[in-house]
Amino acid sequence: MLFQYIFRNIKKRPFLNFIKVLGLALGLSGVLFISLFLKNELTYDSFHNKADRIYRLTYTNPGIFGNNHFARIYNSEQVPDLAAHFPEIENYARLAPLRGGVMMHNERYYSINEAFVCDSSFFRVFDTELLVGNKHTVLEAPGSMVVSEAFAQKVFGDESAVGKIISLPAGQFYARQTDFTVKGVMENFPQNSHFHPDLIATPAQDEISWWAYTYLLLKEHANPENITAGYSQFTALKAEEFGGESETKAYLQPITDIHLHSDKLREIEANSNMTNIYVLSVAAFILLLISMSNYASLNLGMAGFNNKFVTINRILGSTRNMNLKYFFAESLFIVLVSTLVALAIGVLVNSLIAHHFGIHLFRGNSSFIALVVSFFGLLGILSGLQPVLKQRVGQIQQGKQSLIKSNKIKVSQGIIISQYIFAIGLIVAVIIISRQNRFVLENSLGAGHKNIICFESVHANVQQKFEIFKSELLKHSSIESVSAMLEPPGGEANDMFPFEMEGYSKAEKERPNMIGVFPCDYSFAELFNLDFLSGNNFSQNNSDTEGSGEFLINETAMQFLNYNNPQEIIGKEFRLISPNPEVTVPQGKIVGVVKDFHLSSLKKRVEPLVLFKRDKLWLLNFVVSFKPGMRQTALSDISSLWQELFPAYPFIYEDVDVLYKKVYKTELLQARLLSIFTFISIFISSMGLLGISLLVSQQQTKEIGIRKVNGAKVSEILAMLNKDFIKWVVIAFVIATPIAYYAMNKWLENFAYKTTLSWWVFALSGMLALGIALLTVSWQSWRAATRNPVEALRYE
Amino acid sequence: MIQTNKLTKIFRTEDVETYALNEVSMEVKRGEFVAIMGPSGCGKSTLLNIIGLLDNPSGGEYYFDGTEVGSYKERQRTMMRKGNIGFVFQSFNLIDELTVYENVELPLIYLKKKASERKEMVTAVLERMKIGHRAKHFPQQLSGGQQQRVAIGRAVVANPKLILADEPTGNLDSKNGLEVMNLLTELNREGTTIIMVTHSMHDAGFAHRVINLFDGEILTENVNEKMADIL
Ligand SMILES: Nc1ncnc2c1ncn2[C@@H]1O[C@H](COP(=O)(O)OP(=O)(O)OP(=O)(O)O)[C@@H](O)[C@H]1O
Ligand SMILES: [Mg+2]
Repeated sequence: MLFQYIFRNIKKRPFLNFIKVLGLALGLSGVLFISLFLKNELTYDSFHNKADRIYRLTYTNPGIFGNNHFARIYNSEQVPDLAAHFPEIENYARLAPLRGGVMMHNERYYSINEAFVCDSSFFRVFDTELLVGNKHTVLEAPGSMVVSEAFAQKVFGDESAVGKIISLPAGQFYARQTDFTVKGVMENFPQNSHFHPDLIATPAQDEISWWAYTYLLLKEHANPENITAGYSQFTALKAEEFGGESETKAYLQPITDIHLHSDKLREIEANSNMTNIYVLSVAAFILLLISMSNYASLNLGMAGFNNKFVTINRILGSTRNMNLKYFFAESLFIVLVSTLVALAIGVLVNSLIAHHFGIHLFRGNSSFIALVVSFFGLLGILSGLQPVLKQRVGQIQQGKQSLIKSNKIKVSQGIIISQYIFAIGLIVAVIIISRQNRFVLENSLGAGHKNIICFESVHANVQQKFEIFKSELLKHSSIESVSAMLEPPGGEANDMFPFEMEGYSKAEKERPNMIGVFPCDYSFAELFNLDFLSGNNFSQNNSDTEGSGEFLINETAMQFLNYNNPQEIIGKEFRLISPNPEVTVPQGKIVGVVKDFHLSSLKKRVEPLVLFKRDKLWLLNFVVSFKPGMRQTALSDISSLWQELFPAYPFIYEDVDVLYKKVYKTELLQARLLSIFTFISIFISSMGLLGISLLVSQQQTKEIGIRKVNGAKVSEILAMLNKDFIKWVVIAFVIATPIAYYAMNKWLENFAYKTTLSWWVFALSGMLALGIALLTVSWQSWRAATRNPVEALRYE
Repeated sequence: MIQTNKLTKIFRTEDVETYALNEVSMEVKRGEFVAIMGPSGCGKSTLLNIIGLLDNPSGGEYYFDGTEVGSYKERQRTMMRKGNIGFVFQSFNLIDELTVYENVELPLIYLKKKASERKEMVTAVLERMKIGHRAKHFPQQLSGGQQQRVAIGRAVVANPKLILADEPTGNLDSKNGLEVMNLLTELNREGTTIIMVTHSMHDAGFAHRVINLFDGEILTENVNEKMADIL
């Protein structure tokens, strides 16, 4: 009986009920996906069984590397002593990156993204399943290697990996070749890990030393502060052995904090950050509010319009709780249908995400999904009960005072206004985040040219032949310029050398007498179109012998060296002091000052940088630019030359634009997700507004007819109908602007270099919101306003 | 003042065609008081709506003050109607959310009269309709007779030449009905042309002339003897 009546009512207004279901379903799927995404972000690295006891050890020291905070430590050799000194430490695992970018098997080179020499205790600290091998013994012997499933597949195909030899070839980083024996195959590290090694291996001969990411496994209930606080005592104790490093500060960061709370130098992979979490949480919350309030306001509107209460009471008998029962049952039904629709959308979207990004958001999350769905469903039913609840509250509060307007639909202005506050806020956020993303990408060195490619971290043998590679390439008409440099676009130029300069005395300042260095080929400035403030590029035939070396410095370096006029610093004697006696670096003069360029993330300030050129020294990354429109020719020219010169080495390159996009992948993803959710939010609000405008104009049919009979023009009726909606959007705009301004200012604080928060962004967002609102209601208003008044007044 | 020539109105709904008016030719002179009578569904309201420029005829011609207006677009009809024609309906058709005062003020607003002028005119009309003391009330707080007086006030506030009344007494008891008829007669005496649809012979007795409609056609037209001498 009750359900029959519900079905009849729903059938009576199919469009409005469709809007209700669609709004809830879109809201639910949006909220579901954001929650799953956030859960994924928040549970990074928690798959390790002992995740709550694993900490990453890092140091800062004002005397070393300019007090910069690196994600790895430079004196990893002291870790065994450290572990012995502190009873809190149960175990440790050091990961020393394998450099050079390639590994060798059977005289073939295979590129690697991430690979580490590690302690044999790796599997006692970290957890990943071994497909082949025994966790306890697999890394026991020196020179043992465990490869990831993917890497094994790449190198060995379907053959068994165990027992095979994989070598780290000799090169600039390694004096001689090192052979490792594959002892096991591990599952690829899960997507929500802050590192994804292709392979790990125990050292073949030497101990781990120098740079290594260092993870300490603490004993149960051990306090990490004991270690960080006690660190200076430890160094004092070891002073004779390691030299007095009283200034070093130690930090321990829980492994589960790395993904969202760590932005140190040389992170293994680019991390995300909390801003991202906040932005998306707010988006989810807004989506939730919008879909709930939408449903509530449509229900309120329809309840008033239908005079449902009266009819219900007449048909079902007028017990006090009948209304509540009716609305509960109707809500339950609507929410159930919406949930089904949302799950259908969800399954579809999930398979799309899995297909495109390889992230399986649903997998293993069924109880979490059930939780989100039931929470949403409960809220939905509660929102559906609004008319009854409001009526009750109203009865208690005001008795029967407002009889006169009882027929009028209770349009919840508050709901519509807040929906538009959100809509405007979201539009502002999307525009500003997208603008900032464009800004950082456009201002990155060499970005936006679309015709520069980079060979990252090529092997030393390849580097040795750079000059031939360059001169041969330049013979092709498709090639514009060729250069090489220490760091790839988007990389971090962190290396610092002590220096001396004519007229610069270190005594007068606190700052350490070190400066960032950036070896590069002489075409660097030309290829990347650097702006010269004064002086000239390196000379082509500069033979960096004693005294005739040439240096370019950036503007920040000029200021660091206490000059304001770029002309004055030209010709000053400058000398870098190599920290490594085997490496000689040039000495000579400063020949040019270039405007600051952004090789690294624009989130960080540009550091003082000295560019110099030294044959075959640290030219790790090759860059090639080609003539516009000749991409295909250029690529095939480069490819054939590569096969000729370096047949054994993988031909792997990347567009410079793509390299930068990797640096900002979190922000780009944020912008993309936010636009999707903004679109959904606005869509839901608009559907709701459409429903409301339908109800309002239906309810005002008679009034419109009367006004027209009395001389109102269509335009006057339109104005009357739209006036309220415009007023609400304007109020929303006034409230949204300062909030959005504040929030976006906060967001932009993540960047050292940022776009301005121009007023037009806000104006545009307001106009967009107004436009969308007007477009939505005008369709209905127009129909109402052009209706023949005779018809409107016929049935009264 | 009003002249129609073979005025026809066809309503098409799905596959039924209704000839609500079939070649109606009639004339109403300035200052006349005409009653239209006929059985339910014979097209009285349809005719009144077309005369009142609320609707277009499907065929035939309609001259209002000598101008052919039957083919006017909605915009033009609205312009022509404003200030020239006032309406009174059986169901009063007042706006519930507006006060008596605001309801009467409505036509003046759309005529873009100044506020002070509006106030003067509305106050005068309300006095005349003996409803001035109720200016701040809402329609639902008034009796049927009072509501119809407000509606008449609204119809006449802009001093139209023509008043169209569709069963103005249909929802009223005889006392209130009589009051309304007296008001209309008085307005007619002052020179306003009135066309009134009615089912009541009694009310039709106030008119100079009665047009009898049947099935969309004029059956008879008879001059009211009592009134004939006035013409
Ligand atoms: N919009 C419309 N659509 C379809 N048919 C209509 C429409 N308006 C009127 N009709 C039909 O036209 C005919 C005339 O209707 P009209 O309202 O003019 O009658 P009436 O004489 O005023 O009747 P009543 O005395 O009941 O008010 C009727 O048959 C009616 O059903
Ligand atoms: Mg009628």
